Amino acid sequence: MIENGLALLPHDDRSWRLEDYLARGGYEAARKAITAMTPEAVVDEVGRAVLRGRGGAGFPAGMKWGFVPRGAAGPKYLCVNADEGEPGTFKDRLILMRAPHRLLEGMLVAAYAVGIPKAFIYVRGEYARIAVRLEEAIDEARAAGFLGPSVFGTAFGLEVVVHLGAGAYICGEETALLESLEGRRGQPRVKPPFPATVGLFRSPTVVNNVETLASLPGILGRGADWFRERGVPGDGGTRLFSVSGAVRRPGVYELPVGTSLRTIIESHAGGPPEGRTIKAVVPGGLSAPVLKPEELDVPMDFDSLAGAGSMLGSAGIVVISDRTPILDVLHVTARFYADESCGKCTPCRIGTRWILKIVERLRAAGGGPEDLDLVVRLAEGIRGKTLCPLGEGAALPIRALVTRFRDELERAVAR
Amino acid sequence: MSGTKRVSLTIDGRRVVAEEGTSILAAAGAAGIDIPHFCYHPGLQVEGSCRMCLVEIEGLPKLELSCSSPVREGQVLWTANEKVREARRDVLEFLLAEHPLDCPICDKAGECRLQDYYDLYGRFPGRMFEPRERRAKMTPLGRGLILDRERCILCTRCVRFLQQVTGTGELGVFERGLGSEVGISEGAAVDNDYSGNLVDICPVGAITAADFRFKTRAWFLARRPSICPQCGRGCAIVVESVEGYPLSKGERRVYRITAGEDPAVNGFWICDLGRSGRRDIDERRHHRLLKRGEPAPGLIWPQAVAEIAARIRALPGPDRAARMAVVLNSRLTCEELDLAKRLFVDRLGLTRVFFADRKPGAADRLLITAERVPNAKGVIEAGFRPRLPSLEELAAEEVLLLFGSELAAHYDEGATADALGSVGSRFLFATHAGPLDRMADLVVPLAVPAEGPGTYINIQGLRRTFGRAVPPRQGVATGVDVLISLARSLAIDLGEAHAR
Repeated sequence: MIENGLALLPHDDRSWRLEDYLARGGYEAARKAITAMTPEAVVDEVGRAVLRGRGGAGFPAGMKWGFVPRGAAGPKYLCVNADEGEPGTFKDRLILMRAPHRLLEGMLVAAYAVGIPKAFIYVRGEYARIAVRLEEAIDEARAAGFLGPSVFGTAFGLEVVVHLGAGAYICGEETALLESLEGRRGQPRVKPPFPATVGLFRSPTVVNNVETLASLPGILGRGADWFRERGVPGDGGTRLFSVSGAVRRPGVYELPVGTSLRTIIESHAGGPPEGRTIKAVVPGGLSAPVLKPEELDVPMDFDSLAGAGSMLGSAGIVVISDRTPILDVLHVTARFYADESCGKCTPCRIGTRWILKIVERLRAAGGGPEDLDLVVRLAEGIRGKTLCPLGEGAALPIRALVTRFRDELERAVAR
Repeated sequence: MSGTKRVSLTIDGRRVVAEEGTSILAAAGAAGIDIPHFCYHPGLQVEGSCRMCLVEIEGLPKLELSCSSPVREGQVLWTANEKVREARRDVLEFLLAEHPLDCPICDKAGECRLQDYYDLYGRFPGRMFEPRERRAKMTPLGRGLILDRERCILCTRCVRFLQQVTGTGELGVFERGLGSEVGISEGAAVDNDYSGNLVDICPVGAITAADFRFKTRAWFLARRPSICPQCGRGCAIVVESVEGYPLSKGERRVYRITAGEDPAVNGFWICDLGRSGRRDIDERRHHRLLKRGEPAPGLIWPQAVAEIAARIRALPGPDRAARMAVVLNSRLTCEELDLAKRLFVDRLGLTRVFFADRKPGAADRLLITAERVPNAKGVIEAGFRPRLPSLEELAAEEVLLLFGSELAAHYDEGATADALGSVGSRFLFATHAGPLDRMADLVVPLAVPAEGPGTYINIQGLRRTFGRAVPPRQGVATGVDVLISLARSLAIDLGEAHAR
């Protein structure tokens, strides 16, 4: 295993606690940033690390902070997106369970850099146990003087509130998360304005993913160069790859950005089980269009995967074996987006369900090529016209499944 | 507005100048370029959910929402190129996939955005062969509003209106995805005085009004602007009436009153009281003369006015001011008040010109004013100092001219009858049947404001002139007609050409 940028630890009952975290040098990076660096220097350091958002969109974290108006009156907020809902993605859960202080330390760095006194951690509803542990970790940090009105004895203070969502995929979209946090229906807002200027309670807000924030102590502790050099130009660091499906050793692997998909699947996750071969791979969470076995040498960074017609997204890798019918994959995919569409905008609300109705009919009664054409056409109709990325995230994988596995699907639906 | 920066941009090859901060949709609209939309409404906050108003901005990879994107200097936009038209077709196809094709029995047909846009931008064959969602077709929402959830396109204009305008928030969206439905919480129906606006702003036939449902078709309606006379706000209204075919007995003439637009007065909204004014135009109206409470067939209003003039002339000149009184009201238009002032005060020298008006009600924080007359400011401007007469004052008169029956709202009916009984001659000019009818020697039917024209000055001091929204009922006269005719019969020249 390579040098561990996130300092993940064996799963036991103690290692997540503050005492153990401190023994491993915890909170030193945040202490250095807050007591010895200016906020501008922190932003600069993170910018040089080329840390791209780990939630899915891959927006450079330093740049996102830069959009928050400097010195403006009124409150500002930090919102941690812990609504890890992208199918095939289970990395934030690991950080939250095994290294909650790592997240809190990262939050301190971000809050100090942007000048934010209050943070919310929006935890997906299914992570109820994790929320309990987070609360415990927050209590520990507050008792130690790492959170509260005076952090490390300085004038900088940070209060953290844990908020449990109610189980909607859409609330992982940052503006829907803010709506939900404010107590309304979790539905995305029209952008612009972006949260950096008009966010939570209409105030400037930074929304960052758990893993993004948990990367900050490493950047501050070991330096931007150390982090950046672990990745590829334009996409620095290591990241957590969730690997599931038809592999021998499913799990979360921390590897340099840019590691090839084949290396992750075959060297680290052990390749497909005995007697099976790989039919398709979802490389970046369900919203990422599938790749075929001959495309697995692609480096796992944002730009390379975009070049391959897919996306790195949340780096959730789902391996599909030769025994899995693509019609089933198409069905669960279509069903997921139809179920999780919030219903706010027309193309996603109606388009995702229309596609599902067709796919269900194909499974039940068969059909012809024209039905597959219509599915592709409807996916095209959704694409680029929706209010938030969920519509895009539904259209692209559905279109890819139908166009890339057309022959298999035509055979499967023929009666 | 000085100090507002103006930006210039190119829309569909045309140069357009707009104020900074204006949305592309609004800027294009002001330049006469209509961008289709459902959820956008100029009186509500931007929602951005229908996705119908997408346009192409040169230099940007994706189509952008014109309702939420502000204009920028030098922008080059396309609102109707093939890419945009294709996106519109896609959005329309999605909407129509789950929308019933019941236009022939839908109240909104003829004034439905979905229908109109399909005609303009759609016209594709249907490809939806899956079973459509079945939903409730007739859900009462309160205040006579009925929701058809199959027709609803979830633009949420209604929900946002109740959140942002009335602040009452009775409607919400329940469930999610295609299961999303507009509804009320249990036992909390829509109950506010602006409920009728929900029908106006619903872009499809999802919310309809029991008062209008299935009564006529949109294309039979003539729509003419007027001013609402129900309170001091003087909202812009649209009077929608049927004129195209002869009415059978008892049939409605005015089918509804909808909100007109006047940014300085009522914006885009009117209250339910204003809408109910449609009944005032058609119902309980006087349409023929009454003589001592009985219909007087064959008598027409000019003859009646000549009779009244003769009665006035019979009063000895020097005593006239002491033996005659007039009761006016604040529903009269500025033009009528001006003529009344010149005729009764300036020329006849009357000192007792009183006013009797509807009693004030409660004001709300939106549009409804406490005063329930449309022209109180016009009364002051015409030079009157309005005062309600006591019954004793009136009882002493020889000749009494009453405009309107509102005296009855202030005094006990028996006492009023006694007081008027002791007046020598009582003449009533009234729009509607009322308790004073049987106490008057003559009742002359008058036109209502919608049968205008006229001018009102509202509570804010804003002057609004309106035209004739519906033709006067046969046999009724406007206040101007009556006053000019009366002056002529008295051989008094009011210079009425000027007054008009």
